[in-house]
Amino acid sequence: MNKIVTLQQSVMAEDEKFAAAIRDRNTRMGLLMVNIIGSPGCGKTTLLEKTALHAGLSMAVIEGDLATDRDAERLARLGVPVVQINTKGGCHLEANVVEKAMESLPLDTLDVLFIENVGNLVCPAEFDLGEDFKVAVLSAPEGADKPLKYPYLFTSAKAVLLTKTDLLPHLSFDMEMFAEDTRKLNPAAPVFHVDSLSGAGIEQWVGFIKLKAKEKKANVR
Amino acid sequence: MHELSLADAIVSALLKMCEDEAWGRVKKVRLRVGALRQVFPEMLEFAFSTVVKDTALSGALLEIEEIPLEWRCLECGNRWREDSGVCPLCGSFNRETLAGMELEIHSVEVEET
Ligand SMILES: Nc1nc2c(ncn2[C@@H]2O[C@H](COP(=O)(O)OP(=O)(O)OP(=O)(O)O)[C@@H](O)[C@H]2O)c(=O)[nH]1
Ligand SMILES: [Mg+2]
Ligand SMILES: [Zn+2]
Ligand SMILES: [Zn+2]
Repeated sequence: MNKIVTLQQSVMAEDEKFAAAIRDRNTRMGLLMVNIIGSPGCGKTTLLEKTALHAGLSMAVIEGDLATDRDAERLARLGVPVVQINTKGGCHLEANVVEKAMESLPLDTLDVLFIENVGNLVCPAEFDLGEDFKVAVLSAPEGADKPLKYPYLFTSAKAVLLTKTDLLPHLSFDMEMFAEDTRKLNPAAPVFHVDSLSGAGIEQWVGFIKLKAKEKKANVR
Repeated sequence: MHELSLADAIVSALLKMCEDEAWGRVKKVRLRVGALRQVFPEMLEFAFSTVVKDTALSGALLEIEEIPLEWRCLECGNRWREDSGVCPLCGSFNRETLAGMELEIHSVEVEET
């Protein structure tokens, strides 16, 4: 005889406990946590470097990469507190490792903690890290059709960043389609256009983060 | 890669329950997966069958129920299932996702001991 046990349990239930604990603590501390997700090489680290150079934001970064600590070194050089996580083949970060990484950061001095997730448009979007929100990063050379091809990320992100806009003159990037598809998937999300080389658009992006960090602090207690 | 890490997550969750609940042999696992989850069922089934080898779940079958996308318009209340997040009735973008985000172990079939 077989019996059927009904569970109706999320696949990520175990990890969601860690995510909930992180979210709880961040709420108590008034610390904003932002999960940055995009393809390999879309410009996540460069964006964070530019963000760090912007005065008036106390930030730290948790770097997720398959291997090497190059991205962490780049940020450490700028004086940003940073922890590198090597996933050794794992294609996304999980909350349990993020919680451990947070132990070595000066959390009470921070306005915002950025997580640079492993370069990948699929799994990172599915694993809750306890962040306040996800940001979807797409670089212009990847093409305007990506939002519809990776709808989960673009639906669940709170903001969308189009990077490498300096390259637009060399590409046949369909800006209208990109704007339309992004709006269809996620009408509420602001879309930022940034060129991290010249710094164009960084101001607006940092302004958005500052606003969110302020809101988070104001909601303590 | 994606399916493999999901299979890993499913199997570790199940192995823990298996131990906690002292289940007998697990014959079948029913999973509900929303359309937005970007899961390719055959690949996930295959990944699952690989991951369960030499575990207490060895031989268990994965059965995947795909849940189509469903939106509800917050302006006019209309419900629709097409890919587009725009309300086909009133053209509003203001909507909520009713279904399509699931990733849930619905039930397991175990041998009674
Ligand atoms: N033209 C141009 N190049 C950029 C821009 N942003 C980043 N790059 C270049 O793109 C390459 C990858 O940038 P990274 O910032 O390392 O990208 P990443 O997303 O952190 O990469 P991974 O962490 O390896 O996934 C580098 O050569 C950068 O110089 C930009 O706005 N414009
Ligand atoms: Mg990087
Ligand atoms: Zn993956
Ligand atoms: Zn409507």
